[in-house]
Amino acid sequence: MAQRRAFRWHIAVFLAPAVLVYTAIMIVPLFGTLNLSLFNVVEGQRVFVGLQNFATLLGDPRWSASFWNALGNNAWFFLVHMLVQNPVGVALAALLSSPRLRGAAFYRTAIFIPTILSFVIVGFVWKLILSPIWGIAPGMLDAVGLKALFAPWLGREGTALTTLALISVWQFVGIPMMLIYAALLTIPDEVIEAAEIDGVTGWAQFWKIKLPLILPSIGIISILTFVGNFNAFDLIYVTQGALAGPNFSTDILGTFLYRTFFGFQLQIGDPHMGATIATAMFAIILLGVCFYLFAIQRRMRRYQF
Amino acid sequence: MGALSLSQVTKSFGATDVIKGVDLEVADGEFCVFVGPSGCGKSTLLRMIAGLEDVSAGEIAIDGARINDLAPAKREIAMVFQSYALYPHMTVRDNMGLALKQAGTPRAEIAQATDRAAAMLALDALMARRPAELSGGQRQRVAIGRAIVRRPKLFLFDEPLSNLDAALRVQTRIEIARLHRELGATMIYVTHDQVEAMTLADKIVVLRAGRVEQVGRPMDLYNDPDNTFVAGFIGSPQMNFLKGARLGLNSDTLGIRPEHLLPGGSRIQGRVSHVEKLGGETLAYVQAEDHGLLTLRMFGERDFAVDEALGLDFDPDRAFHFDAEGQRLR
Amino acid sequence: MSDARHSTARSIAAHAVLLTYTAIALFPVFVIVVNSFKNRRAIFADPLALPSGDSFDLVGYRTVLAQGDFLLYFQNSLIVTVASLFFVLLFGAMAAFALSEYRFRGNMLMGLYLALGIMIPIRLGTVAILQLMVASGLVNTLAALVLVYTAQGLPLAVFILSEFMRGVSDDLKNAGRIDGLSEYTIFFRLVLPLVRPAMATVAVFTMIPIWNDLWFPLILAPSEATKTITLGSQAFIGQFVTNWNAVLAALSLAILPVLVLYLVFSRQLIRGITAGAVK
Repeated sequence: MAQRRAFRWHIAVFLAPAVLVYTAIMIVPLFGTLNLSLFNVVEGQRVFVGLQNFATLLGDPRWSASFWNALGNNAWFFLVHMLVQNPVGVALAALLSSPRLRGAAFYRTAIFIPTILSFVIVGFVWKLILSPIWGIAPGMLDAVGLKALFAPWLGREGTALTTLALISVWQFVGIPMMLIYAALLTIPDEVIEAAEIDGVTGWAQFWKIKLPLILPSIGIISILTFVGNFNAFDLIYVTQGALAGPNFSTDILGTFLYRTFFGFQLQIGDPHMGATIATAMFAIILLGVCFYLFAIQRRMRRYQF
Repeated sequence: MGALSLSQVTKSFGATDVIKGVDLEVADGEFCVFVGPSGCGKSTLLRMIAGLEDVSAGEIAIDGARINDLAPAKREIAMVFQSYALYPHMTVRDNMGLALKQAGTPRAEIAQATDRAAAMLALDALMARRPAELSGGQRQRVAIGRAIVRRPKLFLFDEPLSNLDAALRVQTRIEIARLHRELGATMIYVTHDQVEAMTLADKIVVLRAGRVEQVGRPMDLYNDPDNTFVAGFIGSPQMNFLKGARLGLNSDTLGIRPEHLLPGGSRIQGRVSHVEKLGGETLAYVQAEDHGLLTLRMFGERDFAVDEALGLDFDPDRAFHFDAEGQRLR
Repeated sequence: MSDARHSTARSIAAHAVLLTYTAIALFPVFVIVVNSFKNRRAIFADPLALPSGDSFDLVGYRTVLAQGDFLLYFQNSLIVTVASLFFVLLFGAMAAFALSEYRFRGNMLMGLYLALGIMIPIRLGTVAILQLMVASGLVNTLAALVLVYTAQGLPLAVFILSEFMRGVSDDLKNAGRIDGLSEYTIFFRLVLPLVRPAMATVAVFTMIPIWNDLWFPLILAPSEATKTITLGSQAFIGQFVTNWNAVLAALSLAILPVLVLYLVFSRQLIRGITAGAVK
């Protein structure tokens, strides 16, 4: 083919729009932010300070206390998702994929609905439901004789973050459910039938045959959950405000970044420290993704059926 | 130790019956092949025996005990699937041993059983591999090995050779026949390929549209078919069907196998339309004036010119007579 | 009915669990929508009751619609979502085609570069994005949002669509080439129609986060004229926090469009996921 030699313009034409927009709006600003974290304003002048901002973030007690608090909260937020959202999602998917289940499409559609709602709606409705004033939650607990269990969970330092994490789980459980459901559907019927004939049924079938075959999907879901959680902001912002109350007990990296960059109450916004926090988040997420890619995914086998 | 008996077995999906009252006896140790065109219900029938499909009516029994409502694993059967259905995440050894492990068999016994099966199938060197690292033929042998390890009363094969290439198919066919001799177990084998049926079976069950057309030994079906369907399905190239009236006979249709149609003679007039020389034999296709396209099968190399006029003859003793409904007149 | 493989008890248990979870999933939506049709007293007296003859009241909806801006917010959201979706699908499909169809130097690298955005959230670049938008005078315009959302949606779109496009028969494309079609015609006339189910999947995945996003509207386009419905309802809640009728009505109105779209696309969604994304 003589044409092989010529420059194939159409490839460039096909790639150009996506690459340009992506580079200009995503990659360049990302590096811009990383770069910005190396500068600060000293006596009204913008100067290069090297890693000074990071030293401030981790060394200055006022900054570091907030940072570690946000990071710790974020880790807990992620842990709740891993321990609740993903197992529940897998369980729902396993039930949905059981053969000859009537109404599977209805359940699937209904359970995914919270995922399509905006954080504003989700945050507000749960605030209403859990509110001691309106009293839906206390009323319902009362009906089953458990009124004593009720507490203003969102208003207490000890329970607010876990409550928010569970609300987020409620909202997003549809995603692991859908992805696992899809993965379960790709297991050929004959493999399941072979298991039936081998006497591997019910729970044993799930643990020994299905679970190993959907592990790669569970891995992908875990890393998506990780990225999503360490990037979360909206739910906390709409329910607890930028101050992530009570007393910063629900502050995560996203809200911390927002407050730092845009300022709140008396403190004015600081783009350089904001960029520093964004860079730290970038590093954390990158670390997590690399850990997944090199330590976990490489050990996992993907099966061709 | 593995006699299968079906009585009036029926399968319906809604209002349509896909299996319409099948009666069948398979003796212990027999190799029974279900054969028929696609959609005849042969796989459904096999899956009902396996317990993968419900039985709508009738009874399935192994060694006289009704198994209709027994879970597949409790039926003491083993099945080899068309796609092999190996567990992709397990090694060959684990694939073969899973059923025993699930049944709580001691580890040493499992190892012994898998090793024995591996030796029979020359899988010894592959025991630590996973299915993805095996060729098609090797996977097939593992699937068979998985069945052997369980020492079932009944082996079920669902078109096990259809994913193999021609050479491997012949080889595996011979392998299965050898296993049947060595194990002496009852085997039920589903195929649409009548050559597999003829070469493997002790007993062939010809199915059409959910009904049994005929049951018998391969040569019985070949030499004594009950109707035009069985006569046409068994044997390759297909039997020639001639119009009885044009030959001055009482029967509606006359069936003559290609090897029993002889060139030269005057009973049938036609023209050669195509010749296929296969070396060992020659096939001539003759457009007969009254009967359409007929096939002749002759031993050795024979020369015919296309369009050459050719008269045909046949031995009346080797012709089959059928009535208008296609039933054999004896 | 005789059944060797499935027990009735197990199937009842499965339905019980799924029904329970479905109730949990739908309960909050139910609470919002039901109470938005009730008068203030009934909302407080019995929040779980359906609206009846005397508790039925549309005052909330009247307040919201009298506010007037909601229509504008809705329009803004629609423009931003549809425009972003259009660009994501068009640019994403083009890039996916280039990556899946042609072998060229750097193909793998380009694929990885574009996939990076799936893992690294665009929000981390917010500081610089805002500076960029300020510099180019795009702050408080819908165009800023469209640009950001296009960039945000592209990585996943390219990834999913190129998986699908690898499945389009080479013979078909080569037949087109032999018939003298240009590469562009092959893409638009042959390949695009064949990957329509995948496009629908990408559309749903792209659309939901755009419609629901609060972060970028808050930062890039908070002005009254460019508020999206999500930001608008957030502001509205803040403003009318004690007017529960109005807030509930506003939330019901915000749920409706995305719910309808989801119900239309949900069948496509599962088919798309099954066929391509997580094989």
